[in-house]
Amino acid sequence: MEDTRRGTVTSLASLFPVEEAQKAANRVQDAIAEKRAELDHLLRFVADNNNLINLVHKLPEELSHEIMVPFGKAAFFPGRLIHTNEFLVLLGEGYYAERTSKQTAEILGRRGKALDSQVDSLEAMIKDLQAEANFFSQTITEAAEGLVEIREDYIEKDSHKEEIKSGPLKQHTSDLEKTEADNEEYARIVARMDELEKEELAAESGIDNEKDEQTTEDVGDISYQRPVGSKPHNSEDFHKSTPPVDQANNKSIATGSAEKHDNPDIADQLNFASLDLQSNVGEGKNAAAKKVKFVDHRKPLTHHEEKTVKATTASKSEVQHQPSQPSFNSHKAFTGSIVEHTENLKTLNGQSSSSTSSQVSGSRPSKPVSRFKMQRR
Amino acid sequence: MSSLTSAVRDLQRELENKTNDLSKLQKDIAKNHQVRKKYTVQLGENELVLKELDLLNEDANVYKLIGPVLVKQDLAEANSNVRKRIEYISAELKRLDATVQDLEEKQNSKKDAILKLQQKIQSIQTTKGKA
Repeated sequence: MEDTRRGTVTSLASLFPVEEAQKAANRVQDAIAEKRAELDHLLRFVADNNNLINLVHKLPEELSHEIMVPFGKAAFFPGRLIHTNEFLVLLGEGYYAERTSKQTAEILGRRGKALDSQVDSLEAMIKDLQAEANFFSQTITEAAEGLVEIREDYIEKDSHKEEIKSGPLKQHTSDLEKTEADNEEYARIVARMDELEKEELAAESGIDNEKDEQTTEDVGDISYQRPVGSKPHNSEDFHKSTPPVDQANNKSIATGSAEKHDNPDIADQLNFASLDLQSNVGEGKNAAAKKVKFVDHRKPLTHHEEKTVKATTASKSEVQHQPSQPSFNSHKAFTGSIVEHTENLKTLNGQSSSSTSSQVSGSRPSKPVSRFKMQRR
Repeated sequence: MSSLTSAVRDLQRELENKTNDLSKLQKDIAKNHQVRKKYTVQLGENELVLKELDLLNEDANVYKLIGPVLVKQDLAEANSNVRKRIEYISAELKRLDATVQDLEEKQNSKKDAILKLQQKIQSIQTTKGKA
């Protein structure tokens, strides 16, 4: 799809050697631990400060407080706390100031704010460090897994669009060319079908008019059945379908079935698909239907090969009508009885690509027709 | 050959000396950093004190803790003292900054010299190996 671009492939392990990354991660973890310790410290200060503010508020409520005064390490004696509104506040650097409780509270409040700002800055630092640690741990795991960094030059091209177009198509078909050619072929096929139909009608009018019509109709119906879900149609139903319907069906089928193809063996697929379809259809034992099948068997045309991309059913019908004088012959030859061999069909179906047969065999083949029998004739 | 080995030995000795100097330099830089940190903290504290002192009324009592003694001080005096201290600390910090710069430059040059020495030793060893 794309031109091979020159690029560099560098293993992450080489850019960030695992051991060094590990060491860096450890260092970052240590730094984080340090900062956390500092943060704890600061938070304790904040708590103490708040307690102090509460105390400072409470003390002046009484003129004097009765307390137990600590005396040395292990003794107390009862005493009184007086001058409850006078506080010697430490301003810093060994300087004290005499203040009232309200003023003290103000000082403490300011100190608390300063502490809070310090705490915030510390927390921000810790966050950054943690982000770094995460990055390191990630690179360690990636390098251990052997992730690889690929760099390519950016080439701006219009071909990019083309690639996009062909991209989805690729999914459906293994051959890109087919999709483009399909449209042309489809037109061709449709035109041919018309011709063949006319010829068939003319040729078989003497033998079996109804059946012929049915076949032509069947073709359309058969191809039509796929989207419908492969319901078995009676011959009567076929009557109702009209050639234009066939075309419409074929078209819809063609578009619908464009998705399906993986064709290792197009001829087989055609045959089997047609077989399946017809078996679905052919509950009613339509000689016409079978005829159609036979035609398909006969004709793995190159046309069909390309068209299988589009729709097995569509191609089938087309095959039938296709530029096949031999097919005509087989048509004529096959108006007789038909022997059906279920077993053969099944094995054959299994061999063909699943895509076509799976779709076709949505409904169980009620009357599988032996390909070989037909060929004999 | 022997001249080569002796040359290598000389170079290696030089290398050792240089690395010692480098480690000394690094220690100095670390100490410098610590002192700087302390001074910075003190500076901050002093500025806080100045702010509070400014908020005080004229008649408020200010005491200074000298050892175990709380000594009453004049507000104006306290103010001026704190200001002077702040100036002193800032000057110290500036000086320390200059020293740190100097030390770092020396450190870098030492590193370069050591690298060159190492390269020389390597080249000699490779030639020795070839010969």
